[in-house]
Amino acid sequence: MVTALLVIFGFCAGLLGALTGIGGGVLLTPILALHFGIPIRQAIGTSLVAVITTSAASSSVHLQRHTTDIRLGMTLELATALGAAVMAYLVGYFNRGVLEGLFAAFLLYSSIMILSKRGKAPSDEDSSPAVNGDVVIPPYEVQRYPLGLGASLVAGGLSGLLGIGGGPIKVPVMYIFMNVPLMVATATSNFMIGVTAAASAIVYYRRGDIQAEIAAPLAVGVFLGSILGARLAPRLTTRIVVYLLVAVMLYLAGRLGFQLLRGIL
Amino acid sequence: MNQLREPNFDRAVAMVLRVGAFGCFFVMLAGLIDGLFMSGRIPLDIERAGVLLMLATPVVRVIVACFLFFKEKDYRYGYISLGVLMILLLGSVFGIGEH
Repeated sequence: MVTALLVIFGFCAGLLGALTGIGGGVLLTPILALHFGIPIRQAIGTSLVAVITTSAASSSVHLQRHTTDIRLGMTLELATALGAAVMAYLVGYFNRGVLEGLFAAFLLYSSIMILSKRGKAPSDEDSSPAVNGDVVIPPYEVQRYPLGLGASLVAGGLSGLLGIGGGPIKVPVMYIFMNVPLMVATATSNFMIGVTAAASAIVYYRRGDIQAEIAAPLAVGVFLGSILGARLAPRLTTRIVVYLLVAVMLYLAGRLGFQLLRGIL
Repeated sequence: MNQLREPNFDRAVAMVLRVGAFGCFFVMLAGLIDGLFMSGRIPLDIERAGVLLMLATPVVRVIVACFLFFKEKDYRYGYISLGVLMILLLGSVFGIGEH
């Protein structure tokens, strides 16, 4: 029964993530914690497995379009993997309240970011079904490696702390600061997410924070949902979907905050 | 330096990811279906194998890329890949922490 619910929930999160290009990771951890009663540390670990699955599937598509800068990705992975592994290790010493509070703050912050970006064109990623074959990428020279590595360290840390992919941080850093074309930045970020999430997931697994009977149904659902989402994305007006996502995120932030307050009082 | 025209490199790495993603999807699915008909250890073991396969996929991807960089005599990125691999492996050694 719970297994079926997990598959359905994973499917919805994957679908929503692929449709909005934000990735379902933000939703997985808090819903697992709040509605499935899974301890938050296990919820994070479980969410990481789903994140690796989606990254592997979507990154293989990007790679075949030759839009991924593997060298750049590998270089930045030095920083993201380090940040993710160290943070995943530290999470073992955080108590539940701290994690829930951090998560509520992160959800609020992301909702505001999404809403404030709404005015501009969404310049979406995965969605473009790419006129098969030759995508033309203008030549570019990667700049400001130290800045990129620093930001990647932070992105990796957040990934290990919250069980998210961290694409919304990596893409703008590469695009705005490192002079990488948006299409390449998106593909490369997707490419990096798998290794980043794995670096922390391995630590969570070793600690016993990844339960296969939860992770497997969830990953199966997310996998199917994100494949369908990537297919549907070009044909759907995403505005309503984005508002739906923000509404869910705000609700989750509220619930987490409420729970936290009740614990303090 | 950072140009992307290396179709074979891309294809090899894409293959690893695809096999990993679909492989683990089907293994996990098999575990779930198995769980419908029987309870106990077997379905859980299959699901666990799926999860481990998923955790291993990015590691294999780094190993393959590392191998390809060295084969191309691109030592700089070969060593960078080795570094990433070290971090991944260290995580599995120090991943104990307090529960």
